[in-house]
Amino acid sequence: MLFQIAWRNIWRNKSRSLVVISSIIIGVWAGIFILSFAWGMYKNNINESVYRQLSHIQIHHPTFGEENDSKFTITNTDEKLKQFQSNAQIASVSSRVISTGMITSPTTASGVKIYGINPASEVTQIRLNEYVREGAYFETGKENEILIGEKLAKKLKVKLKSKVVLTFTNTEAEIISGAFRIGGLYRSKNISLDEVNVYVQQEHLRELLELKPSESNEIAILVKDEEQLEAIKNYSRTVVSKGKIEDWKELSPELGMIIESFNLYTYIISGIILLALTFGIINTMLMSVLERIRELGMLMAIGLNKSKIFIMIMLETFYLTVIGCPIGLLVGWLTVTVLGKTGINLSMFSEGLASYGFSSIIYPALDQEKYVIIVTMCLITAILSAIYPAYKALQLNPSEAIRKI
Amino acid sequence: MAKTIIDAHNVSKTFNPKTIPVHAVQNVHVHIEEGEFVALVGPSGSGKSTLLNMMGGLDEPTIGSVIIDGVEITKLSENKLIDFRLHNIGFVFQSFNLIPVLTAKENVGFVLQLQHMPKNDREKRVLTLLEEVGLEDKINSRPGELSGGQQQRVAVARALASKPKIILADEPTANLDSKSAANLLDIMAKLNKEEKITFLFSTHDQRVIKKARRVITLVDGKIESDVQQTPT
Repeated sequence: MLFQIAWRNIWRNKSRSLVVISSIIIGVWAGIFILSFAWGMYKNNINESVYRQLSHIQIHHPTFGEENDSKFTITNTDEKLKQFQSNAQIASVSSRVISTGMITSPTTASGVKIYGINPASEVTQIRLNEYVREGAYFETGKENEILIGEKLAKKLKVKLKSKVVLTFTNTEAEIISGAFRIGGLYRSKNISLDEVNVYVQQEHLRELLELKPSESNEIAILVKDEEQLEAIKNYSRTVVSKGKIEDWKELSPELGMIIESFNLYTYIISGIILLALTFGIINTMLMSVLERIRELGMLMAIGLNKSKIFIMIMLETFYLTVIGCPIGLLVGWLTVTVLGKTGINLSMFSEGLASYGFSSIIYPALDQEKYVIIVTMCLITAILSAIYPAYKALQLNPSEAIRKI
Repeated sequence: MAKTIIDAHNVSKTFNPKTIPVHAVQNVHVHIEEGEFVALVGPSGSGKSTLLNMMGGLDEPTIGSVIIDGVEITKLSENKLIDFRLHNIGFVFQSFNLIPVLTAKENVGFVLQLQHMPKNDREKRVLTLLEEVGLEDKINSRPGELSGGQQQRVAVARALASKPKIILADEPTANLDSKSAANLLDIMAKLNKEEKITFLFSTHDQRVIKKARRVITLVDGKIESDVQQTPT
C-alpha cells in the first residue's frame, strides 16, 4: 500500500516530478557524455601511441634503453623475425636500427632520431605509408632516400627531393655523415614526434653504423588480441633470451597512468554532477513534504507510524531517481553508441589537438565498468537525497501538523 | 451502569511554556461513558480542539492523565500510542481528512490494511461501510471528485473501519452546507445508536449542538457547563 501511495503521490504534481526526473536524466546523460568523450580522447591517444608508434611489445638489448647507443644490438634478427612471424597470435613484427644524430639542411640543423626501417614490414606495423602527404613511401628503392615529417621540413626549409645530411656516431664512436634525398614528407597525428623522427632504409643505416648484417636495435611486435599480451611476452623471452622485453605500458608509463587516473575522474565527475542533483532533489522533496504537513499529520493520527511515513517519503524520492537514472543511462548509452560510430569532428581545434598527440575526430567510448560506477553512484544519490526530506517528515507531531495551515 | 470509556483527569495544556505561555486547557476533568454522543462547544480559542486532541492521544497534556478504556494513553510510547489510535480511536477532522491519491474505497480500506486484515474481508467491510454512509456509488472516486459532505462521510466510514470504541470529530461540519451537515449528523447519530460507538465532537455549529445528548461547554480552557439534553 505504501508503495502505491508513494507512487501516486509523485504524480500529484506532474510538472514538478517531471522536472526532477528530467534533471536526473540530463545529469546522468551529461556525466556519461563527458566521461565517454574524455575516454574517447584518451583511448585515441593510447591507440595512436600503441599502433602508430610503440607497438604492443618492444625488445631491445638490455643496455640500449639506458645508453641509447646503436652498438647495443640484437643479433640474428632475421631468424628471430621468422620465429615471431610463425606465431599465430602475432599480427605483425618488424626490426629497426636506431640512431640519434643531427639533420642538416642548407639553412639550419635539428636533432633527430633516425630509424632504419624495412619499409615493407612497417606497412603493417606503424603504417607509416598512410601518413605520407607528399612524395612517396620508399618507392624509388634508392638507398639514400629519407622520409621526414612535414613539420621538420618546414623547420629545415626544405622540400621534396631536397638534399639533407644526417650526422651521427657509428658503433666505433666515429662521427659519420651521410647525404640523403627527401623522398617523402609525412604528417602523423602527433606533430611533436614528426619534428624528431626520420626514417631511412635499414640496410643503408646498418652499413653506415658499421653493424653486422642482421643486427638491429629494436624488434617491435603487434599482437592480435591484447588479452594475449602476457603470453606473447613470455614467448618473446624464449625467442630473444637476452633481450629486454617491455610492453607498451612499461615503455610509456604515462599511458598506463592515464587509464588509472581515468577511474578517478569517473568518480569525481559523476560525483560532482550527482551532488548538484542531490541538492535539487532534496529541495523539491522538502517542498513536497512541507506542503503536505496536514496530510502527514492526518496519516499519523489515523495510525500510520513514523517508520512507515519515513519509508513513504523515501520511496517517493527513490521512485523519481529510479525513473530518471535508467532513462539517463539509456540516452547516454545511445549517444555514446551513435557518436562512437560517427565520431565528433573537432577539426576546428585540430591543429592544437594534434600537437598534443590527439586526433581531430573523437570517438566517444565508455566501458561497462564505468556505467556500473555511474549506476551505483546514482543509487547512492537517490538514497542520500531521500533521507533528509523523510527525516524532516519524522519531526512532525500529528496535532501540530494538523493545526498548521 | 455504563462503563467509563474516556477519563480525562485534571488535564492541562500550556503552549510555549518557556516564552509566552498560553494556557489552552486548565485542570479539566471529563468522564465519558460508552455509547455517549457528546458535543464539546465553546467560542474559538476556548480549547475545544486541544482537549479533543489530548483525549485522542494526538497531543500530550502538560499535566494530567487521559485513560481510554482502562489504558493510560498519556504513558504510552509514541509508537504504541500510534498503534493504540489505529485500533481504538477513529478520527474525523475539519478538512484534509482523506489521502488525496486514494479512492474512497482505498481510503477506507487503508486503516484495515494497516491492521493487516485479509483482502477479501477488507473489501467486504469497506463496501458495507460505504453503503452505511450512503456512498456505494462513489467507491472509486478520489477525494477531489467528491463534495465536501461526501468527503466527510468517507472520513466517517474510515473512522468506523477499525471498529473503534470512540470516534473523535473536530468540527466535522465546519465546511459543510446545512443539508450535508444534517446528513452527516444523522449518520453519526444512527451509528451511535445502532453500534453503540461513543462520539465526541467539538463544534460551534448550533445545528450540531442540538443533536447531541450531552453538551460540554468550554470557556478559556475551563469547563463552564456540562449538561445532558434531549436531542432535537
